[in-house]
Amino acid sequence: MSMTLSFSPTRQENDALEEVIRLGRDIADSLNTETLRENANLNGDSFSGKMSKFGSEYAKWYARRLVLPKEVEAAIRDNTVYVHDLDHYAVGTTNCIFIPFDKLLAEGFSTGNGDLRTPRTIMTAMALVAIIFQCQQNAQYGGVSANKLDYDLAPYVGRSFIKHFRKGLAYFESFAEEQRTLSGSASDSSQPDSPTDEEIYMDNADLQARYPHAYRYAYQETRQETFQAAESLVHNLNTMSSRGGGQIPFTSINYGTCTSSEGRLVMESLMESTMRGLGQGQTPIFPIQIFKCKKGINQNPGDPNYDLFLKAIECSTKRLYPNFANLDAPINMEYYVPGDPNTEFATMGCRTRVVADRFGRNHLSGKGNLSFNTINLVKLGLEHGTVLGKRKWADEEGYYAMLDRSLGIAMQGLLHRYRIQAKQPAKASDFMMREGVWEGGEALGPDDKVEDLLKHGSLSIGFIGIAESMKAMYGKHHAEDADVYAKALEVVRYMRDYCDAMSEKHDLNITLFATPAEGLSGKFTKNDAREYGSIPGVTDREYYTNSFHVPVYYQTTAARKISLEAPFHELCNAGAISYIELDGNVRSNPEAFRKIVAYALDQNVSYFSINHPIDRCTSCGHEGIIGESCPSCGKKETEVRISRLRRVTGYLTGDYQTRFNGAKQAEVRDRVKHAGQAVRQE
Amino acid sequence: MNICGYYPESINEGEGLRASVFISGCRHACKGCFSPRTWNFDYGELFDDARQREIIQEMADNPLLDGLTLAGGDPFFSAAEAAAFVDLARERIPGLNVWMYSGYTFEQLAARPGSDEYELLRRGQVLVDGRFEQHLRDVSLLYRGSSNQRLIRIPESLERGEAVLWERSNPLISIR
Repeated sequence: MSMTLSFSPTRQENDALEEVIRLGRDIADSLNTETLRENANLNGDSFSGKMSKFGSEYAKWYARRLVLPKEVEAAIRDNTVYVHDLDHYAVGTTNCIFIPFDKLLAEGFSTGNGDLRTPRTIMTAMALVAIIFQCQQNAQYGGVSANKLDYDLAPYVGRSFIKHFRKGLAYFESFAEEQRTLSGSASDSSQPDSPTDEEIYMDNADLQARYPHAYRYAYQETRQETFQAAESLVHNLNTMSSRGGGQIPFTSINYGTCTSSEGRLVMESLMESTMRGLGQGQTPIFPIQIFKCKKGINQNPGDPNYDLFLKAIECSTKRLYPNFANLDAPINMEYYVPGDPNTEFATMGCRTRVVADRFGRNHLSGKGNLSFNTINLVKLGLEHGTVLGKRKWADEEGYYAMLDRSLGIAMQGLLHRYRIQAKQPAKASDFMMREGVWEGGEALGPDDKVEDLLKHGSLSIGFIGIAESMKAMYGKHHAEDADVYAKALEVVRYMRDYCDAMSEKHDLNITLFATPAEGLSGKFTKNDAREYGSIPGVTDREYYTNSFHVPVYYQTTAARKISLEAPFHELCNAGAISYIELDGNVRSNPEAFRKIVAYALDQNVSYFSINHPIDRCTSCGHEGIIGESCPSCGKKETEVRISRLRRVTGYLTGDYQTRFNGAKQAEVRDRVKHAGQAVRQE
Repeated sequence: MNICGYYPESINEGEGLRASVFISGCRHACKGCFSPRTWNFDYGELFDDARQREIIQEMADNPLLDGLTLAGGDPFFSAAEAAAFVDLARERIPGLNVWMYSGYTFEQLAARPGSDEYELLRRGQVLVDGRFEQHLRDVSLLYRGSSNQRLIRIPESLERGEAVLWERSNPLISIR
């Protein structure tokens, strides 16, 4: 490529220029598929995907060269620390948020181009939910979550019910009155008093008794409307693109504990719509749904929402969602105030957890995570373990010394980034502050700094590869040996203690994160393999094992995997998830599914989900497990496309063979099933 | 007796999470069988006492297991040995729930009290019975391959002298 420059560049400038040129060329000519597939939810081959890549790749380059502290930049180069979403570093974007839908819907809001009134019906309310998600998504780089959508939307089911009831009253009850008068049986000639709005709600048995026809009409109409509203919400959240048109919003919705008929209808409708699926019945990728499990509310026969828990199980056997949030786990009970749904544990679909706040906002909505940096634990093990044959006994002192350095650098990076984020004016995050999505933002002027509000959010240190780190140190990973398991737990507890100490020192909410390693799982590994070679059980795969997970390739039972991972959940206050892999057609055996979920909750796993294959024949629409040919129509994979849905870092992706990056594809291939070998597929 | 497969946790051969043991050997020779090589009695690994005890221990250690399923092959061609295995397992795990698959029908197996086949049958809770009939193949059927095959509650059926079908005792109920 020849360029004409208006100045004589130095050698350094020349190198820099060449790097920038290469960045662009790789994207424009689709030369680097790993870059294009870094995010499974973005079509990196599309025009808009490439445009956004141009922006983000240059922004990363700029951040590394001109913004990052030298030590942090060096740690990235050394492969010891990873700074997530580096493209948003220089401009000070924040990560994710729980949205106060109750407030936004009640007060109305402005998108910037138009004002929206509080909705009068559930149909409108659900349409606005999609719009709020989309507006908010553009104000940050991570996910958007509703922490209590059942409670948030129940009032609008109620409003629809009032509307339908009044209509029913006008038609049916006066008609019934006429009938009674005509037949001469009505002794009471006075019209019944019209009930007030406050008296019209689904759980009012007196209302139902007095106006049976109007009630029944309103009930049926409201059900139908709520189902339609839920169906269009699910469709909207899978079809509207955001962030430069390349990506649909990473939406999550939590529900499960609202026991009013209105709130229950919201949940039933959402799950029914999810089971029905999109278009020809495809599994919706969004929103991630999370069922909030709470004893006394939905966990045992006799609990008011137990039927909805069973429905969540059924839905999850068909659609991989909902996942299950454990409100009874001790870590999640800490700030729980009965009667205040905003204190109930909920999560970003990917696992990010933001509950505690040293400045008093010990609830969920109106705040989120600001950013996180991840530590490569495997490299520590490689440097100080026995695996390279350099020493007979693992050098634990060296390991912890290097861990201290890594933690220090990760912390330094978080603080540096926080200072950039904190000095941004409210207008930079636009919708988020102006509409008070971030609690208190509405009180700021456009040019006011956001620091006093951002401090309520969390800064997190994440980690990856406890399994490979232990293998490199001691020759066994934490599921292979009880002593090694204790060491692994000690490392994680050490990191948590560090985060707690840093919270005190810097007067900020510093938390420990079981990182969901989307683009990261292959990068660390590739660099370490280059430096240390291919080491069995450590660097010989294309990825490192997620956070504290038992390796996906390790054969063990579902119960054992759960009980090994559970104690780590308590330590990861910025969020964690455990998965079980099931093989076979779990939709025909929901009892097995329910039992595994119940066991995980009982073991105090904070957030849990079960992975199982959902293959779909695009010819006949059959869903289940499909081998080389569709068991229903008999067509072979060579004749017809079989779509294979899998989950990556918590989010589903339509077709893992085309949208996953290499490392993630390898990880999916290696997953051993903890339960349910599909013997009929051999 | 050989086994041609063992899955410590399976969701495909019966209700809940079950240990599935596939016993080698079958003479039904159903057309369209999903694994004809398991017809051979010498196929797979030897299912000796040590291996049996190993599997029983794994079952005992697994808090999530709902029971054991005997499949094959067809365990009823090795009925006496299979029954002895069930007894051994129940010594360690009293009340172990057992499902069994057979190409024979319930009526055939129940016809001769005292026979090895009958003795195996009466040790089970649920029988999935009948040959695999290719023209009746239906992938939507629960725990079985063709629509002639039935899920049968063994104790009730033996008591009444006729096949009583198994149904989910705790179905996931639909709301309203």
